[in-house]
Amino acid sequence: MVKSIAYTLTAIALCIGLFIFTELYLHNQFNEFHDALNALYTKIEDETATRSDALAVKAIWDDKKEKLHILIPHNDISYIDYWLNEACGLLAYNNYELALGKIEVLKEITKNLPDAYSLKLENIF
Amino acid sequence: MALIFIRTAIIFFVLLLVMRLMGKSQIGEMQPFEFVISLVIAELACIPMADTSIPLFYGIIAIVTIFILHQIVWLLELWFKPVKKVVSGKPSVVINKDGIDEFQLKKNNLDVSDLIESMRVAGYFNLDDVYYGLYEANGSFSALEKEEHAASSLPLTLIDRGKADEQNCTRCGFNTDRLKQFLSEQNAKLKEVVVMTVNGEGRVYFQKRGEKYKILQVEVNGQW
Repeated sequence: MVKSIAYTLTAIALCIGLFIFTELYLHNQFNEFHDALNALYTKIEDETATRSDALAVKAIWDDKKEKLHILIPHNDISYIDYWLNEACGLLAYNNYELALGKIEVLKEITKNLPDAYSLKLENIF
Repeated sequence: MALIFIRTAIIFFVLLLVMRLMGKSQIGEMQPFEFVISLVIAELACIPMADTSIPLFYGIIAIVTIFILHQIVWLLELWFKPVKKVVSGKPSVVINKDGIDEFQLKKNNLDVSDLIESMRVAGYFNLDDVYYGLYEANGSFSALEKEEHAASSLPLTLIDRGKADEQNCTRCGFNTDRLKQFLSEQNAKLKEVVVMTVNGEGRVYFQKRGEKYKILQVEVNGQW
């Protein structure tokens, strides 16, 4: 009996710990990536962004996504890959107008994605 | 992750409620919450395993949630008896000294043929072979048998909750007129009969709704 209660409480504690960690980690990782995207966005607006700027953001994302694969569905990660690669391609040809649109989408995704995994009533149902 | 936990918990309790509402006919030798666990856990394990786009963690969290819920339900049942009644249900006495309790049968989504089948599985071929028959919370059938019972021939069900089984009636020589005559002798209408069985020796088990069962003797053609 005592053992069972101990196992149950341990499982509950581990779960709660994991939930808090996941919540904080996801928000932190996406906030960092969002900041990098913001910097790139400003540069694109000024038409000073180069392909290497975009590749630098991509490097940040590649580093983060390895760990994020453990915590969020891989399809969501592949959406970001898709839009980011398009932006990189457009910046290679200095197509700032279209690149701006892609980065706009990415900013929106990275802003909303962590909330989709947060403990909110609309996410439960 | 917390979402998976809460969503699994919601599915668990909804399934448990549905299983309880379905009655004992849907459960086989398991408590309702154990049955729910066995239904859910296979899917929870399989989906992240087969779908590589879902992190394996999602399956693990869901399974751990089921473990936690199982432990909580088990502890609540142990500590608070009323919880056990709500979660697992209680035994239903479907045969008492007056015969079949139709209300209890209906409550558990069972009919007379299910009861007769359960009795046969338990080794009783006549409805009056037992003083009491009950469905346990886990859906298994138990009975307090009478001292003397000998099934020399298999009883056939002629009427099951107000509906006549024409094939069985023909087999034992109860045509429509004879059945009508028999029912009028018993001062009963077809719809009022809970059950009527007859064996090869003409021994009839007859129960009218709201009345105690009767054992009667009739002549049959003895073809079974």
